Amino acid sequence: MQPFALNYARPAVELEVTIPYAYDSGLQLNVLLDGRIAACDHGLMRELGTTTSTAGSKTHFDD
Amino acid sequence: MTVLILTSEEDVTADMVVVHLNGAGVPVVRLDPADLTGSVALSGEYVHGAFRGHLSAAGRLVSIGGLRSIWVRRPGPPATRAPAPSSWLTEEASQALYGMLRGSDACWMNHPDAARRARHKPWQLRLAQRSGLPVPATLITTFPQAAREFAARYPDLVVKPVSGAHPQDPPRAVPTSRVAPDTDFSAVAYGPTLLQRRVAKRADIRLTVVGDRMLAARKAVADDADPDEVDVRFAVNSLSWCPVDVPPRVADAVREYMAGAELAYGAFDFAEDADGTWWFLECNQSGQFGFVEVDTGQPIARSVAEWLARPDPRRRAGVDGADTAVR
Repeated sequence: MQPFALNYARPAVELEVTIPYAYDSGLQLNVLLDGRIAACDHGLMRELGTTTSTAGSKTHFDD
Repeated sequence: MTVLILTSEEDVTADMVVVHLNGAGVPVVRLDPADLTGSVALSGEYVHGAFRGHLSAAGRLVSIGGLRSIWVRRPGPPATRAPAPSSWLTEEASQALYGMLRGSDACWMNHPDAARRARHKPWQLRLAQRSGLPVPATLITTFPQAAREFAARYPDLVVKPVSGAHPQDPPRAVPTSRVAPDTDFSAVAYGPTLLQRRVAKRADIRLTVVGDRMLAARKAVADDADPDEVDVRFAVNSLSWCPVDVPPRVADAVREYMAGAELAYGAFDFAEDADGTWWFLECNQSGQFGFVEVDTGQPIARSVAEWLARPDPRRRAGVDGADTAVR
């Protein structure tokens, strides 16, 4: 009774990396431990994959 | 005038835009509706024919009448992190928040009504056709026999979710997947199934549209790519996204699509075939863009910030410029 499309499902892969930044409500930005703004470190963003098209799929329709 | 951003705290893609708004000196209030009745509060009164509303978040207070624009990025469902969450409270909070915001004169990226409609993939396919974009032959059906007949006409097929959503119980991903020619289609009866002719692609295209700006990126299919991995989101590919020009005919069609969908932002996915034709796959009205900017250096975040901060042409001269956000 499983819908056809679910025959092609695979286990969801959660991000296994530790996110090295935290939200600062004063700045309204995520900040690294050394105080730098996480979003300005493009190398880190690429490494973490938190801006990729599968990020957020758990709670949002749009990738 | 203030830019209101509705998104989750962990949304670093939104951060990329906040950085530009800060740099331009544009007041920003960022909040997640999930935090309503906790760190987020609202109030609005309708008295003597006038409306006055306010939102507060993390010590910031903003007048709803003083909002320049509203960016609905990745907000959580309202009040889901309240001390005593419930579906009833979420509905109450949703009606209160979005109902008040709908009464503002702010520009939306994207308006909730347009966003909700634009999520429907069948509607996207029809709008794309009407806009003049090439759309691969597609069938959405619960009739197994219709699926068999479609597979006979188009033996090289892919299947993908109609909604784009992934099942959560248990958490699974449903990537676009190839369907073998001898597949048993009887399970089509148990759920609407989207089958589409596979485009033998030489590259994936992500076209990000921000207002009237178009920023396209191309990712070539690697020579050693697994032919069964057709979903760029899940395929292993060491190649990077690179900037690419938008063919004029595609640009015209995309403009028509955006106008028809009443969207200010859209992230289009195309498959580029061997002839260089861009085949429309979908348009995500809130699609991610950080990964493209990181690879290409294209100024997508800056474009979003500029759109959010632009003077609203509907407002009278002299209204803009007042900082309505206070800390």
